[in-house]
Amino acid sequence: MFDRSDNGVMAREPRFEEIMCGLLQSGKVPRAMVSETREAVALARRFSDEVVRPHSLELDRRMQEDPTYIPWDFARDANRWGFYTMWLPRFLGGKGMSLPTMGPFFEELCACDSTLGLLTAGQYFGFSILLASWNLRIIQRIVRDVIEGERTGEPCILAGAVTEPQAGTDVEEMELLSRAKVNCHARKVKGGYLVNGTKIFISLAQMATWTMLIAYEDLHRPEETVVMLAVKKGTKGFSLGRMENKMGQKACPVGELIFEDCFIPDEDVCYSSEQVRHLRRGPKESAMQLIDFVVSNTRPGVGAAATGVARGAYEQALRFACETEVDGKLLVNHEWAQCLLAEMYKNVALARMTYMEGTYVNGLYGITRLLSIKPVYYLDKVIPESTPRWIAGLLDSDSATRWTRKFLLDGQTDEQIARTSGWASLSKFAASDLALDTCEKAIELMGHAGTRHEYRVEKHLRDIKVMQIFEGTNQLNRLNLFKCMIARSTQEALIFSD
Amino acid sequence: MQATVSEDLELIGRTCREFADRELVEGREERDRYPFGPPFERTLEKAFEVGLFSIMLPEEAGGSPDPVGTLCVILDEICRVDASLGGIVFTVALAQELIHQAGEPKAIKERTSSGGGCEQLLTAFPSFTDRCEIERSTALRAVGANGDHRLEGLAEYVVLGGMARRALLPARIDGGDGWSLFMVDAGGDAVRAGKPVLSLGMHACPAVDLELAGAPGRLIGEAGRGAGYLEAAADRLFVAIGAMASGVMKGSFDTAFDYAKERVQGGREIVGWSEVKMLLADMALKVKLADMLVGEAARAVDRGAGGWTLASRAAGVCVPEMARDVTSNGVQLLGGNGFMKDYGQEKRFRDARQLQTLLGSSAMNRLAYIEKVVGGEPAC
Ligand SMILES: Cc1cc2nc3c(=O)[nH]c(=O)nc-3n(C[C@H](O)[C@H](O)[C@H](O)COP(=O)(O)OP(=O)(O)OC[C@H]3O[C@@H](n4cnc5c(N)ncnc54)[C@H](O)[C@@H]3O)c2cc1C
Repeated sequence: MFDRSDNGVMAREPRFEEIMCGLLQSGKVPRAMVSETREAVALARRFSDEVVRPHSLELDRRMQEDPTYIPWDFARDANRWGFYTMWLPRFLGGKGMSLPTMGPFFEELCACDSTLGLLTAGQYFGFSILLASWNLRIIQRIVRDVIEGERTGEPCILAGAVTEPQAGTDVEEMELLSRAKVNCHARKVKGGYLVNGTKIFISLAQMATWTMLIAYEDLHRPEETVVMLAVKKGTKGFSLGRMENKMGQKACPVGELIFEDCFIPDEDVCYSSEQVRHLRRGPKESAMQLIDFVVSNTRPGVGAAATGVARGAYEQALRFACETEVDGKLLVNHEWAQCLLAEMYKNVALARMTYMEGTYVNGLYGITRLLSIKPVYYLDKVIPESTPRWIAGLLDSDSATRWTRKFLLDGQTDEQIARTSGWASLSKFAASDLALDTCEKAIELMGHAGTRHEYRVEKHLRDIKVMQIFEGTNQLNRLNLFKCMIARSTQEALIFSD
Repeated sequence: MQATVSEDLELIGRTCREFADRELVEGREERDRYPFGPPFERTLEKAFEVGLFSIMLPEEAGGSPDPVGTLCVILDEICRVDASLGGIVFTVALAQELIHQAGEPKAIKERTSSGGGCEQLLTAFPSFTDRCEIERSTALRAVGANGDHRLEGLAEYVVLGGMARRALLPARIDGGDGWSLFMVDAGGDAVRAGKPVLSLGMHACPAVDLELAGAPGRLIGEAGRGAGYLEAAADRLFVAIGAMASGVMKGSFDTAFDYAKERVQGGREIVGWSEVKMLLADMALKVKLADMLVGEAARAVDRGAGGWTLASRAAGVCVPEMARDVTSNGVQLLGGNGFMKDYGQEKRFRDARQLQTLLGSSAMNRLAYIEKVVGGEPAC
């Protein structure tokens, strides 16, 4: 029996609140979430069967032939199926599928083709950055564009631009940002900002209608002067630079953004230290909270994608083992192959557990906390898809943004930030490592057949490697886990002080 | 360069490194576009001129006195820059070794004495295949007898298949035991080459599936003894796969190390971060181990020292596994740049995994290793 005196022992590491997140969240999850998740998986399977699988290898081959090709046809298909608005809340006019269903959906698509998975769900990486600003007016405006893009059949895609030529790892962590050589400068001018600088490795750069740009008011104090700007395609002074030629993820274009005296009006400023002055955290901590809000959502997303890749490789290996004879009997009936397949299955299952746990943690302490509260959850399900006017008007007001930020950002404790961010990192690096290992095992089992394009495994292998790199390298994510989950109870620990 | 090589081999290594730096660095990414770009042909002629395709020939036909050691030094240097040419050199060497094992000096002489160019020496062979694949029911069949055989069926993943004039192919003689080796005119009417195989790595080491519809084949060695020849040739040449992997690892390490000394993050060169040092250390240790392992095993093979077959196979299985890890870190240390075509690291990542499937999957090769031990060869 638990009695009060146990409070003392329960305050010890590891914290119950941190290691039992799934259990803690289970009572809070609305029942309808189960059927919704099932629906998301079924939808992904149908889309995979009808659109992804029939085109994926051909498209990858085409990209090898012409790395500059932009797969608009596929984006239009994803748009037509409604995926670009699927997870936008109904009160903003989206389809209102709950965010926690996204991981299983994404896993499912990536089991077939993670590049096309990213092209479908990568949209929400940009959206996560936008959402983390909690600037309701701009969120609403951009969401409206995405919905309009669905109506007209011309996809309105969102991208997120953080990485710079001289600052990759450094822009993922405030402690490093203070020492970084950033170049993307946003100078406050009358009525807005004037932006100069470059961003590199930006996913969907060539396809995006809106790019969420992170820039700095003072390049010598970037950690204190973060601004987030919404930049529309075609804005004067904004152009695309080189398009990258990559090992994998070929059909998901990645490119350079160039800003030359690019004027962004105040109405497109999603976040600045000025805007959050009324909050209890200072500019540096607020900016870190913003980054943590984003990555707490996107890193388990990478975990889900990696789980899918691992599954894809495992499924191909299993199929091969069932079709291939070795020494007079099918490979699948050799004990060693059974153990190898079991290891692969284990990798997939472990990877899945990490992103699901990351999702539960976000429901408890992070980005989906508000929408996981049962009354809010059910309210969003019954609101008509076209936003009622009064809601739109309310969200447009400055005070709505002010109070939402106060509630969500000030309402989140440092411990909660650490938990969401720590689990997100764990999922990201564990799942991507497990997935790479699974792809390697598939090749070990299949030999040269596994290296042939038509078996898909080699593509999974080329696609997975980047998941150990983007959204912070796995090294940075290990250090973030240390910072978030280990260092706080270890007084001696210093971070990034080698 | 392998720590234990002799002066002669060191000289060969140096020459080969110069060749690789001169001929293989430039245009590497372009060649790697194959089959969407032009094939290697010009470079192959040059490789022929410096003798890269005659290493496993008998000494009197221009071969080397310690052929396996020589082959390893050469492959190591070439694969440091581009493993695709390594794959071609390996395949040619393997075909020569098979012919040699089959006791067919005539077949070799024919090709060396006529004084032809590169084409004379290039022989296609399914060098990624293992014994089990050849024994599968779907493999080639040979119909006929007494030196007049016609081959039918599909030969998968034949390296140089669309390029070399002849192909050395394994086939089962109808009604006979085991399988046999046949030399086939690859350009003949009854041989149809499929599209170039699009594979994970070593793109410029071209492979095709060959469909044979009654293609005449000349039996090489004795009927039904193909498995024995392949086993013997593989025993000797497994170490060469280790040498290729060792070269790829060196290229990956050098590039990562140079990058880590230049790239600044967190206010210092990343080589200053101890976690980066750990990754580099892991790579450097494996590079060193691989070098020693390959050098030692190759010497054992050439000298016929006790236990040389297992030494060769251990190097051939384990070094590519090390290369798999090293090249992954090699990409990782360059961050996003590692994933792009610009630094060659992504190519090494792919090539290392492709190498791992030479002469069969690594799982099958592990099993084959222990079968030898079970069969009585001392494991240690
Ligand atoms: C396909 C692709 C898509 C991408 N999409 C986007 C996008 O949409 N938006 C965006 O903003 N960015 C994007 N990126 C960029 C990605 O997030 C960065 O590549 C990543 O954060 C790493 O940064 P970097 O490449 O500069 O590597 P670096 O930071 O230069 O790292 C190089 C190496 O040093 C190590 N290292 C660096 N600092 C430390 C340290 N302090 N301690 C220990 N090790 C360290 C790293 O782990 C790595 O191994 C994308 C990248 C790729 C490849």
